[in-house]
Amino acid sequence: MPDLATHRATAPALAVEGLGYRYPQADRDSLLDVALEISPGELVLLAGRSASGKSTLLRAACGLVPHFHGGEISGRIEVAGIDALATGPGELASVVGYVAQDPETQVVSTTVAAEIGLPLEMRGDPPSTRARAVEEVALALAIPHLLDRTADSLSGGELQRVALAAALVTRPQLVLLDEPTSQLDPVAGDELIWLLRRLNEEWGVSILLAEHRLERCLAAADRVIAMAAGAIAFDGPPRDFLAWAQDADPALETPAARLFSLADVNPLPIGVRDARARIASMEGGVGPPPHSTCFGGAAGAVRGSDAEEVQAVRRGSDSSLRRPSLTAKGLWVELLRLDEAHDVLRGIELTVRRGERVALMGRNGAGKSTLLRAAAGLVESVGGKIDVPGGIALLTQNPSDYLVRERVGDELPGGQGQAALRLVGLEHVADSDPRDLSGGERQRLALAITLAGRTDGEALPGLVALDEPTRGMDRTRKADLVALIGDLAERGAGVVVATHDVEFAAEFAERVVLLGDGVVIADGPAAEVLSGGWYFATEVARVLDLPGVVTPEQGAVVLGGPMP
Amino acid sequence: MRSPFAYTPRRGPLQSASPAAAVAYLGALVVVAFLYSSPLVLIGAGAAAVLAGLLAGARSAVRAGLRMGLSLALLIVAINALVVSRGETVLARLGEWPLLGQVDVTAEAIAAGASIGLRAAVVMVVASVYSACVDPDRVLRALRPLAGRSALTATLVSRLVPVAAADATRLRDAAQLRGPGAAAGGWSPLLRRLLAGSFDRSVDVAATLELRGYALEQPRRRRSRRPAAAAARRARSAEPRSRFDARFYAIAAAILIAAIAGKALGADDVHTYPTIHVALGPAAVALSTLLIASGLAPLRRPPARRRTLAPSALSSDMYEKGTATAGREAAALALRGPASAPLPEAPGA
Repeated sequence: MPDLATHRATAPALAVEGLGYRYPQADRDSLLDVALEISPGELVLLAGRSASGKSTLLRAACGLVPHFHGGEISGRIEVAGIDALATGPGELASVVGYVAQDPETQVVSTTVAAEIGLPLEMRGDPPSTRARAVEEVALALAIPHLLDRTADSLSGGELQRVALAAALVTRPQLVLLDEPTSQLDPVAGDELIWLLRRLNEEWGVSILLAEHRLERCLAAADRVIAMAAGAIAFDGPPRDFLAWAQDADPALETPAARLFSLADVNPLPIGVRDARARIASMEGGVGPPPHSTCFGGAAGAVRGSDAEEVQAVRRGSDSSLRRPSLTAKGLWVELLRLDEAHDVLRGIELTVRRGERVALMGRNGAGKSTLLRAAAGLVESVGGKIDVPGGIALLTQNPSDYLVRERVGDELPGGQGQAALRLVGLEHVADSDPRDLSGGERQRLALAITLAGRTDGEALPGLVALDEPTRGMDRTRKADLVALIGDLAERGAGVVVATHDVEFAAEFAERVVLLGDGVVIADGPAAEVLSGGWYFATEVARVLDLPGVVTPEQGAVVLGGPMP
Repeated sequence: MRSPFAYTPRRGPLQSASPAAAVAYLGALVVVAFLYSSPLVLIGAGAAAVLAGLLAGARSAVRAGLRMGLSLALLIVAINALVVSRGETVLARLGEWPLLGQVDVTAEAIAAGASIGLRAAVVMVVASVYSACVDPDRVLRALRPLAGRSALTATLVSRLVPVAAADATRLRDAAQLRGPGAAAGGWSPLLRRLLAGSFDRSVDVAATLELRGYALEQPRRRRSRRPAAAAARRARSAEPRSRFDARFYAIAAAILIAAIAGKALGADDVHTYPTIHVALGPAAVALSTLLIASGLAPLRRPPARRRTLAPSALSSDMYEKGTATAGREAAALALRGPASAPLPEAPGA
């Protein structure tokens, strides 16, 4: 009879049968008859819209559901042969690691070394064993230089790696990750995904990865599981998933797959390399985009050249559209980091005009948020000046910070409050508790709070600024946000959105300003900036590598497919 | 924004020392502050704390500690002057005050307040240096065998405090950004929101602790009848000791012995009522000097120069290339031996 160790080595990394779960006091099930199996060494991508049950499934696999959250559960779930319903998360920690979306809440120690070694310390491992394990996992994740740092001095990407290290230090057979790239810039996000692939290949760790930005990780996955309304809607290889999503839920398509889908090219590509190979094999390949005498030529065929749009706004007949809504001249801002003043913005020169839709991009720490905070007067400049002539409405990264009352109507009382709610399409939730709203609704409510009292005509702030508004959003919610941004710009506000999400930027922005280490390193029409690089480029731009072609719709025209 | 008192890892002696050694050293200064009323000795202890903090690289913590400590000292002086009317040297008669009655400000009450305030300032600066230089994780780990759950609860709280401070800053910013038509932020809703947010955070942190194995039984230590085996196991499970521990223990012992001896020799011959008497005898001066010198404990000696081969074996240009390069070339030369071929020239040399 095989012993327990042998059984664990050969057992599936995760086996789930007939799993149903309802959170305490919830009025509906979060998981419905879920059944799946993950083999040792598999990298599985968990897809689905917001609130489809992805996070709950991950929490069940690591034992937090039901041992920590309570609620009603049925069915069976085994992790590496251990019954997760009978075993607590602490005991499961030796076979499963879990990394949540927000790395801030996953760190409980002061220093990185102590944080990574904590699971081993709890297990009673001696310091010599802990030291070796911490060193090895730090080397594997390329973070040995962080071991002596304090957790509060790390960037989001570094914190996410530390959380991953703490999950890996016990050498688990399965690692669960809940949208680990949602707060990372494209560079750090891509690095994390390829790090996971390397760990999967070299250490044989099984990985279950929940993500919204599928284009980042689909090529690295062995298999995709899609969830909808708490149940498994699809389970199969990435290419089959794309074919399924094309019909069942186009919101889950990657941009490259949508490009092929619109161009009526099959099979759909699972990544940039696959798409490029497929295009190269097509008869005649891909020629220069029509009207390609200037960037945005393809875009012009679909919705008008972005460059022309910018010029149209700049020469608009309405004089209010030409007025600047933000002017920064030689702006320098210093912030304290570890007792030392650092220049976060270094001589920024920037003008945003009314009616413009601008994406402010750059890696973590490039100065995007600081620029918006300086515009709102939350930080002071040490040199130069920044001016927002028509005022500013700034929505910071966490919309919940604006929601301090128990009723939406109490946050926005009176006629001005009602007008602000109407502007963001939330007049029907005036009697609701803000905490009962969805993530997207909370964000719109927070925006309404910043705009309240200045929603009409000349009262509208000259500048509306949003800082990382798409964290954790699925594509449907992003589309709603694109529409809202368009509406605000049409009303005459300049809209600046600091974002890492290049696909979102391609959808809403007419102009992209790229910051690098506190200086503007690129500023131009979105189609030009987002097609002129590698990291800060859309998937379609990386596939086609043609100037001015950044969205699937633009790319489909180039590929010669039917117009969308 | 990061608190100036937050622990910052550095490779200095005070940060590298074991928590017990660091606590012994800084604790000795606190003991002196509580034992003595002599301004000379208290100033010596305060100067030692400031010097130690600066040498340990905790400039911001020292500055913030001094600012808070001196503010507190001034407050104590003012309150003592108003509340205590003892003393023969009346500086001002302020008449009848509600609750306080007749208020006479005396020089003795001010001096007594200054003595207490100075003591508080010393303790504040020492606490600031401790906070910025002693790793709380190591302290809690050292305490864990004594009270495991309490130590981890302290970990949780110590993590939540800076997080709550960051939350408060963000909420304050968001309150400033509300439109004129929105309900005002207000202190009460903000505090309620901060509290609710802290609960949410604590749930998240508690979930992380669960995943890290907090709920596991603490592994029991097996008793061994063989002393050698038990000693070996203790050695494996012990935290590595720092080479600076002995220095801090020795200086702490010296401070305490000198403080007790000084007390016996009249270094604290100070009283403030009914008239001020401060004896600044040789014992007080000596103790104060010793205390100031103890502030040099975190000083790190510059590394000694590495001994190299005899100059005859090395060409003079090797000395000019710097220690690392010269060391490597010297080692290579020594390995090759005197009879071997000369070293090839570096490309581009």
